[in-house]
Amino acid sequence: MNKSTGRLVIASIAGLSLFAAACGDDEGAKEEATTTVEAVDTTTGADETTTTVEEVAGGEVFVTGSSTVEPIAVLVGELADANTGGALAVTVEGPGTGDGFKKFCAGEADVADASRHIKDEEAALCAEAGIDFIELEIGIDGLTVATSPNNDAVTCLDFPALYALIGPEAEGFTNWTDAQALATELGSTSEAFPDADLVITGPGPESGTYDSFIEIAFKKIAEGRGTDPKAARNDYTQSPNDNVIVEGIEGSDSSLGWVGFAFYEAEADRMKAIEIDKGDGCVAPTVDTIADGSYPLSRSLFMYVNAQKLAENPAIGAYVDLFLSEEGIAKVTEAGYVAIPADRLEASRTTWADATA
Amino acid sequence: MAITAAITTSTSKSVRAALTDSKRDVRGYLFAGVLLLCLLTALLVLTVLMWDVVASAIPVFQKRSTGFLTNDLASSPDKAGVSQGIWGSLVIAGFVIVLAFPIGIFAGVYLEEYAKSNRLTRFIELNIRNLAGVPSVVYGILGLVVFVQGLTWFTGGRSVIAAGITLAILVLPIIIITTAESVRAVPAGLREAGFGVGATQWEVTRDHVLPYAAPGILTGTMLAVARALGEAAPLLLIGAITGRLASLPGESIVDQLQGKFTAMPIVIYGWANEVNKPGKITGLTFEDLNAAAIVVLLAMVLLLNGAAILLRNRFEKRRQG
Repeated sequence: MNKSTGRLVIASIAGLSLFAAACGDDEGAKEEATTTVEAVDTTTGADETTTTVEEVAGGEVFVTGSSTVEPIAVLVGELADANTGGALAVTVEGPGTGDGFKKFCAGEADVADASRHIKDEEAALCAEAGIDFIELEIGIDGLTVATSPNNDAVTCLDFPALYALIGPEAEGFTNWTDAQALATELGSTSEAFPDADLVITGPGPESGTYDSFIEIAFKKIAEGRGTDPKAARNDYTQSPNDNVIVEGIEGSDSSLGWVGFAFYEAEADRMKAIEIDKGDGCVAPTVDTIADGSYPLSRSLFMYVNAQKLAENPAIGAYVDLFLSEEGIAKVTEAGYVAIPADRLEASRTTWADATA
Repeated sequence: MAITAAITTSTSKSVRAALTDSKRDVRGYLFAGVLLLCLLTALLVLTVLMWDVVASAIPVFQKRSTGFLTNDLASSPDKAGVSQGIWGSLVIAGFVIVLAFPIGIFAGVYLEEYAKSNRLTRFIELNIRNLAGVPSVVYGILGLVVFVQGLTWFTGGRSVIAAGITLAILVLPIIIITTAESVRAVPAGLREAGFGVGATQWEVTRDHVLPYAAPGILTGTMLAVARALGEAAPLLLIGAITGRLASLPGESIVDQLQGKFTAMPIVIYGWANEVNKPGKITGLTFEDLNAAAIVVLLAMVLLLNGAAILLRNRFEKRRQG
């Protein structure tokens, strides 16, 4: 970001249409000035105002869907607000990917955020309601499998080991060693499990984080063994609240759990990320390994746009335009996720351009 | 005799001591001790909870000052505020006061004073009692089906109107029951005296029964408002917003009421799900903001109930005088 100009300069050149936003900034500045120095203040990304006034269609946009993607959508919504002086009003909620698609396919929302692809039955629901949608990949999230920082015995796990510990056949395992036989049978090359309580905390089936974890790590193994390819074991602590999962992982010295990368990054001192081995050696989740795909547990984040509503409401187009612009897509990393490679971003932009042409 | 001497000084303790022939009432003391212990335990838990919340909330009010109260929902804990939550909760409280108070109080008075005491009345009363115990999620589903999906032309869908009416219905049984209980507690002699001097039922109810029952009724309304302000589950079903709530500038009040909304419990719920990364400027996290939001919600409940408390004290004084 090349914003070296001060807040006053921004306010003075922003023009009349930015009057409201500028006022808002002043208020924020006043409030913030009491606790910080000016240099910090102007470099913060939380309330950046562009110096160009874009000609953007005004109106209301309603975004629902994944709580993982929600922070990105909120940041882009704030950007839209700043760029248009409030004329582009974006409302965002994050009940979860599944609930989001339910609303989206009932025609209640303009845009649905998702932390996985739309499922066939959800697409059928949309088709039934006569809703066409445009799928756009916007970012990458690394699912982080984590344990307590005090757990020195476990540093790296492969997919068979994860399946043995968390998969549907693991039901009833209360000690890490209970899973050893199954892991060995599946050909796991991970080091031997410690003789310690197995305390698992993770998201539940309503969450996209649950679905994508199972799909990436278990699906192949489950299909080979004839077990449910869409389920994990049922007897672990499930919560839709990532902070609860973090607490669960921190709470036991031999814990196991998984959260989105943004939550791991923010709470890295409370958890230890377990490296994942997909046959090419152990890889720790970092921004780089997630971006280049070498970290096996990474998933794409999507945005689905209602095509019929898009034709009626130019504000939706303006919002997605802004989202896919350099300024908008930068919010993906600002929210703690990983940017998609340039070619995939270009693919999203092309899809969008074709759909709106 | 000892007994008469004791009665002339007549404190309950001395009477008891005299009647039990000065034997030390060990079990009695033990029982009193247990009671006191229970009270202290409850108080201790409450104090610890309050202290925990207030201690995390103080830095928020110091660093954010009024910005916390006047700002909208936002991505960063440096900017986010509760103004939209306060507005939503106040509107919901308004619906409860306007809809549930009169309907609930009048229904309760009718049940006790006017309705014949027969099987049907008892059956209705039993059902109202059961309704008061129905989990709030069930009311949320009712609100979703009837007010969000059914009466969309009036509520505008997932709006604060739908939420307000749903919560008004949710607290209605509480108000009816407490009203009926307090009216029942009015001494029969009061009514008979009124009828004796030729007052009609309406005059007796208005001038004697209602003022006498007022403190109890007001307690019921206070509980009702507190419950309505604190409910999150029905609002989640109706569709209160968690991430960002924006409306076009210059929106009419009708559009605002029919538009998307949020409320304090939902703000708290949403922030509990946020990444706890400290804000770059203030160093606050959403966890801290949540503590402050809880303090704001508690303050709102107290303020809204302040009027009821004042009124209750007035009625109580009059009753004693």
